[in-house]
Amino acid sequence: MTRKEAFSDGAENWEVQLRKGSLELAILASLWGGRLYGLEILRRLENGSDLVVSEGTVYPLLNRLRLSGLVESEWVESGSGHPRKYYQLTAAGREQAAAMAQVWHRFAASLTGLLAPLGKEKP
Amino acid sequence: MTISADSQKKIDDFLNVLHTNVRGLGEQEASDIVAEIRSHILDKASPAGTVTPEVVSSILAGLGGPQELAKRYLTDEVLARALARRYVTDGLLTRARVTRSPWLTLRSLFHWASLSFAGIWVLLASLVGYGLGAAFLLCAMLKPMHPQKAGLWLLPNPSDTSLSLRLGFGTVPVNGRELLGWWVVPLGLVMGSALIVVTFRLGLWSIGKFWRLRPLAGPLARGERV
Repeated sequence: MTRKEAFSDGAENWEVQLRKGSLELAILASLWGGRLYGLEILRRLENGSDLVVSEGTVYPLLNRLRLSGLVESEWVESGSGHPRKYYQLTAAGREQAAAMAQVWHRFAASLTGLLAPLGKEKP
Repeated sequence: MTISADSQKKIDDFLNVLHTNVRGLGEQEASDIVAEIRSHILDKASPAGTVTPEVVSSILAGLGGPQELAKRYLTDEVLARALARRYVTDGLLTRARVTRSPWLTLRSLFHWASLSFAGIWVLLASLVGYGLGAAFLLCAMLKPMHPQKAGLWLLPNPSDTSLSLRLGFGTVPVNGRELLGWWVVPLGLVMGSALIVVTFRLGLWSIGKFWRLRPLAGPLARGERV
């Protein structure tokens, strides 16, 4: 492996970690406007963000958020012939989402300042 | 939407393996998980008029293998429980600091001890402090009822200079020398109360000093298992 390849591997791995780390916030944010079921959340994430989300990741994560008391779920009969499990934020979930968003904005703002010189000249 | 028999079998096989592997979470939870994944598969399949085995295969591939999926549920559940315990401890310790209630402090110390070594040490020190304080108080209160047995004794063994606090039960050390006599009543009351107060303050101080309140650190800093 050349140095350049090793570097791009590292950068890719960093990006994967970054996406994973922000998934929880993204899910909480997708529920901000009201209740959604799993597939709707997945579509919201795919359309509204640059997150490449695997379906096998989101359902266990939703279950964890429910166990943590950040979201609650209920089964709702649908016209499609099978019931769907809808999720919505709890009061604690709203609080957590807002707090996480604040941390995110603060973090992004401070990093953006630091990164500003990097775009100006090509390495 | 029509589902061919082959397709239906593929779906059922996937869900059966999933169900077997998440059973550790409890029957109710396992059925709920399977029902949700079934609902997901049907929702994904519905735009296709006829659901062929190929369509099903591609939907199932998106979910990963059933065992892999089950493993994610299990690890996420463990993580959720660990985080929940942290949140409970966070809440208790914070309330203990704000209300300065001795009862809450002791309860939160037990929670803290279940999470870290620092917590275990603080809990042990607190238990020793409270125990000793209670012993002094009891001794002072029992002295009037058992004047011969309750008191502070210097043990007779010359090589052993340890003191023995007697609470008025059991036998008095043979040839032991009682040090305080009736003074044990006021001294015991003062020492006992002081020990309890100091232990309580020390517990609160340790909480402030060693317990890091990081309610957001868990999910954000842990590098999420996803």
